[in-house]
Amino acid sequence: MSAVISGQAARIPEGEVADPILKARGVVKRFPGVLALNNIQLELRRGEVHALCGENGAGKSTLMKVVTGQLQPDEGEVTYKGQPVHFDTLQDSEAAGITMIHQELNLVPHLTVAENIFLAREPKKGWFVDRKKMEADAQIFLDRLKVNIKASDLVLSLSVARQQMVEIAKALSLNAEVLIMDEPTSALTESEIDQLFAIIHELKRQGVAIAYISHRLQELGRIVDRVTVMRDGGYVWTKPFDEVTVDDIVAAMVGRSLEQQFPERVSTPTDELIFEVRNLSGVRNCRNVNFTLRRGEILGFAGLMGAGRTETARAIFGADPKTGGEVLLEGEEITIASPVDAIKAGIAYLAEDRKLNGLSVKMTVKENITMANIEAVVRHGLIDKAAEAQAARQSIAKLGIKTPSIDQVVRNLSGGNQQKVVIGKWLFRESRVLFFDEPTRGIDVGAKFAIYQLLDQLASEGIGVVMITSELPEILGMTDRVVVFHEGEVSGILETRKTDQEEIMQYASGVKRMSL
Amino acid sequence: MASLDSAIAHEKRSIDRKAIIQKFAALAGLVLLVIAFSLTSGAFLTMSNVVTIALQTSTIAFIGIGATVTIITAGIDLSLGSVLALAGVVAAMAAQMGVPVPLAFLIGVATGGVCGVFNGLVITRLKLPPFIATLGMMMIARGVALQITGARPVSGLPSSFGTLGNDSLWRVLTETANGFPKIVFPGIPYPVILMAVLAIIMAVVLRKTPFGRHLYSIGSNEEAARLSGVKITKVKIGAYVLSGLMAGVAGIVLMSRLVTGQPNEGVAYELDAIAAAVIGGTSLAGGVGTISGTIIGAFIIGILRNGLNMNGVSSFTQMIIIGLVIIGTVWIDQLRNRR
Repeated sequence: MSAVISGQAARIPEGEVADPILKARGVVKRFPGVLALNNIQLELRRGEVHALCGENGAGKSTLMKVVTGQLQPDEGEVTYKGQPVHFDTLQDSEAAGITMIHQELNLVPHLTVAENIFLAREPKKGWFVDRKKMEADAQIFLDRLKVNIKASDLVLSLSVARQQMVEIAKALSLNAEVLIMDEPTSALTESEIDQLFAIIHELKRQGVAIAYISHRLQELGRIVDRVTVMRDGGYVWTKPFDEVTVDDIVAAMVGRSLEQQFPERVSTPTDELIFEVRNLSGVRNCRNVNFTLRRGEILGFAGLMGAGRTETARAIFGADPKTGGEVLLEGEEITIASPVDAIKAGIAYLAEDRKLNGLSVKMTVKENITMANIEAVVRHGLIDKAAEAQAARQSIAKLGIKTPSIDQVVRNLSGGNQQKVVIGKWLFRESRVLFFDEPTRGIDVGAKFAIYQLLDQLASEGIGVVMITSELPEILGMTDRVVVFHEGEVSGILETRKTDQEEIMQYASGVKRMSL
Repeated sequence: MASLDSAIAHEKRSIDRKAIIQKFAALAGLVLLVIAFSLTSGAFLTMSNVVTIALQTSTIAFIGIGATVTIITAGIDLSLGSVLALAGVVAAMAAQMGVPVPLAFLIGVATGGVCGVFNGLVITRLKLPPFIATLGMMMIARGVALQITGARPVSGLPSSFGTLGNDSLWRVLTETANGFPKIVFPGIPYPVILMAVLAIIMAVVLRKTPFGRHLYSIGSNEEAARLSGVKITKVKIGAYVLSGLMAGVAGIVLMSRLVTGQPNEGVAYELDAIAAAVIGGTSLAGGVGTISGTIIGAFIIGILRNGLNMNGVSSFTQMIIIGLVIIGTVWIDQLRNRR
């Protein structure tokens, strides 16, 4: 081991004496134009739950990919059980006992639990799969987790929580000694989280080292032993959880006050109502929703995953059917049966998953920008090339989209620029109310600031802005009021400057409820 | 201002260059084929053979254009060959019953359009995958064609029925000393003119109209297109109607050339059409494809068949070679896209 590296590393007193099973030191990973990991260190001990905290883009996932062999570090080293290791693929690290459970579960829905657990390493009898042995073995691992799942069940018949249990059972079957869990609770209900934590305690007792990535800082106290904080690809500190508060962690993650993270607001709310929703209900997870939006205001939608924020926006936009309620734009009731109606009325919905619902990534910047309003550049039934190019150039200039040309295929742009293209599409349509669903997800910190500035600018121009976000700092930093959702209903509407993360979470988790 | 202009000019140049390179691969293949065949066979590059190739290629081109339109939407039309036969025999039966020939042709083409409406409705209303819907239509149209003709060729047609498929524009004839006509210039066959006109119209529709843009956006990302206000149902039905109309055109041209209605004509032609589109750079995943590419693809298939015939290569070997060409071109295309 290099003396130079250990010499300059921060001293972690107990760290050296306890039993570290996995260590990363001085890890550097560069992507074109980005320093994704800058001299990172991490140390996992047997039988500990080690939380990895940081904002989106802080480098947590990149670090985990380096540890599991999905990415190769440019500098630094990883040691496993005291030996420097070099994994070429995920399979290599799995074989060595390091298993990662991804946020998006990697199970094959049409196969059974047992088939999933032993996928690509099925026990065989001659040339055939030994189904009996496979199911019996799978059942042993399931039983060890004390979960009521049958090995012969089809995965698609299980809830997300139970599918996650199957992933854990699969990890056990791989003799995992290090388990990496990425946002394991984001799709779970309270009681399912209790069950998961019981399993984590059990794994801990068996000596498994667990790296636990979560944005839900409040729940860390129930299972976590130590915390490592990362920020913008750099290492901040590692501390025992007992010695820090949630506020300490947040401060370390953000690294700067909210004022620096968000732009000075230019727009100011007026009393003029531009948009109103009364008693709206939809077929999916949206019941009796009421809220108003004033000119110049940025309205936030907060809530846990699956609370009905996206569903409400989609119902308003006509992307999903409504079952009742009224939508008023500038005081007049409008009927929206489909996205076509909503777009005509001037309402836009910028979908949560850009690549899935928002962009045509195979098409060019120009074609995406004019997609929702192609009629505006049509002369005598044909698309006017010059007019379309001009429209695209104006959007690029106004939004600061960085692209080599208007004919660049959108797939080749960065996340932040892709998001700006989507915004450009709706501005070209001259939309009057815009619903932004997780507008800064998956884009880097600098680009986030630009998006915030843009939202503020739109609000100041009199365009209605609704921001759906799971990042509470975004709610606090950018919005004037916040509509909190809980299980498909509005549980509270709060003045942003009179509230805090804690109060919002109380409404989001259903502890508190306003009578509206 | 000058710098902005030069920036735009530069941008334009780089785009043009890229587009040229993209098209170049297939076009270069076409040129190489022509060179190779003209070296191996003296009869290949004669005026009459060039006209023959163009005539033979026109059928693949018509249905290839239809296939391109549906594949761009990430769909497929397997009913092209059967619809071609149905449209042709309907036109022939109408002419046989005394309907004026131009009107009979229109009825034939319209029959193709009706099949397209049916395909479109099954795909958008019953929400069946295009593969299944058009597989069903492939059997239905063929069955109807055989049923209404009693599986017999429709003959006894007025001679004007054969004009579209057999006559040419600007044919120059002289009389030889013993009174027989001698062809000085074979002229441009009507099917070839029709192919050029329809290809240009369809290229404009795809590249210049909102409908064309919507076809690409549906193929690229249907949900994004829907959330952008694209009327998915209408556009998709439109795509299958266009495909059916093109099959109808191919049907009347082919039957006109034979001056009979053949209910067994066009079996498996849809595979030639799909091959032409794919060789020309259309992606089966949707969102990508051009008419010019498909025309080049159609000519590659047409010239391969013609040239191999002239060199005495058996039709079985021809099938093997064309199969390899399809695999090879698409592989090269994927390598290029993967970078």
